[in-house]
Amino acid sequence: MVYLDHHATTPVDPRVVEAMLPYFTVAFGNATSRTHRFGWEAREAVERARRQVALLIGAGAREVVFTSGATEANHLAIAGAAAAAPTDRRHVVTVATEHRAVLEPCRQLGASGWTVTELPVDPTGLVDLDAVARAITPGTALVSVMLANNEIGVLQAVAEIAPLAHARGALLHTDAVQALGRVPVDVAALGVDLASFSAHKLYGPKGVGALYVKRGVEKRLAAPVRGGGQERGLRGGTLNVPGIVGFGAACDVAGREMPDEARRVGALRDRLWQLLQERAGGVSMNGASAPRLPGNLNVRVAGIDGESLHVGLTEIAVSSGAACTSAEPSHVLMALGLDKTAALASLRFGLGRGTTAADIDRAASHVADVVAHVRRSSPVARLAAAGAGR
Amino acid sequence: MYSAAVLDRVRNPRRVGEWPAGQTDVGTGEAGTLDDGTTVRIQVRVSAGRIVEARFKVFGCSASIASAALVAEWLEGATLDEGRRLTPGRVVDALSLPAERAHVARVAVDAARKALDDVTEKAERRP
Repeated sequence: MVYLDHHATTPVDPRVVEAMLPYFTVAFGNATSRTHRFGWEAREAVERARRQVALLIGAGAREVVFTSGATEANHLAIAGAAAAAPTDRRHVVTVATEHRAVLEPCRQLGASGWTVTELPVDPTGLVDLDAVARAITPGTALVSVMLANNEIGVLQAVAEIAPLAHARGALLHTDAVQALGRVPVDVAALGVDLASFSAHKLYGPKGVGALYVKRGVEKRLAAPVRGGGQERGLRGGTLNVPGIVGFGAACDVAGREMPDEARRVGALRDRLWQLLQERAGGVSMNGASAPRLPGNLNVRVAGIDGESLHVGLTEIAVSSGAACTSAEPSHVLMALGLDKTAALASLRFGLGRGTTAADIDRAASHVADVVAHVRRSSPVARLAAAGAGR
Repeated sequence: MYSAAVLDRVRNPRRVGEWPAGQTDVGTGEAGTLDDGTTVRIQVRVSAGRIVEARFKVFGCSASIASAALVAEWLEGATLDEGRRLTPGRVVDALSLPAERAHVARVAVDAARKALDDVTEKAERRP
């Protein structure tokens, strides 16, 4: 089976596994143990990883806070900023196409009396900067706009939103999970105050992530997870040393290989799009073709039921962004203005480091076969032709 | 989440197709709407009171494809009366359909009944 779901997760790079292994069994110390070598070794490894993550995102090492993943990083950013916000700032601005891990904590604030603005996007998936500017008020505590969308891969103009947020005294957070390791991420150039990352999206282990907290912004966060004072009090809990080491190693590899890899994967994605148009026909791209992650392609297929398409696809692993059992369409695709049927009949392809040209050819042929087969058993073309009134 | 009985019929469909509806020995039935997400078309060819062939077309989820395929399978070789005794419940049981998909079995059975009614009417109209 060809794995084309790299937005969901990626395999851990063998070089990353190798870097992690000693920290399970030999150098297993607790990074906060200060009285012996085991603790010192663990601490040293964590700080090295912190520098590796910081280097890839253009931050200082002290600005990186390790978490259990991006959901927790988003929660620290959103709930943390909200809890520390002055009482006259009880408004958060976000975008309808954000990941649930941003929308849910924002809605949670809404349930506790905050005002939540979820801005719409245009049919290409981009938020209108004038609408962002209009939405931010002197009462806005936080603006959260993702860098790269996890379903349609489009890149929001976060750098242009930063001055809009800061002019009103609001913090700017970006969920940069899908961008890291795929396109250059420079938190300073973006001008963000907070940015969330996850290791398993860039060939690192699951269960570890980070929040970039710009120097000084930590004073505007109240940590939701407290305990032993780890991560300068911003995230209590024993550090996941092997995971953090793996995150650092993954950032190190990504930093070295990203330019060539982005070009290679981008060319494969373009080939996939061309082949799908030639072989399957009746396909359209969801979201803007650019700016977009190089490995992302989101395609809707005309004249087909999405669920039977997905069940028919046995040779490739792709995502619909929708759970088959509930048949709920993707909130991202619905925000683009698609109807439910079109949103459900969409495929998200996520290409990655292991994807080859042969994989792309095989995937395109398989999709074309299944689409032809489902369309053949469908009465819709005939119904459409026969019934103008339908 | 789907049973092997469903997956087999989705991935290796048999009896997909259609005949011109005007043929006197062919009955055609359609049920469901595109707005509801499922539409099924069943056709039966009848000879001497017995269904000799059945065909289907479906727009819908896997459960609806499998339901229509199973109904077409059962219809072939049955008498018109036997065909009318098909129930959605039997389809749901045979395919182990999840509860939230059970309604598509009714769409397939409704289409089959309409096809049987259609061919019966045609026979009655014949001189």
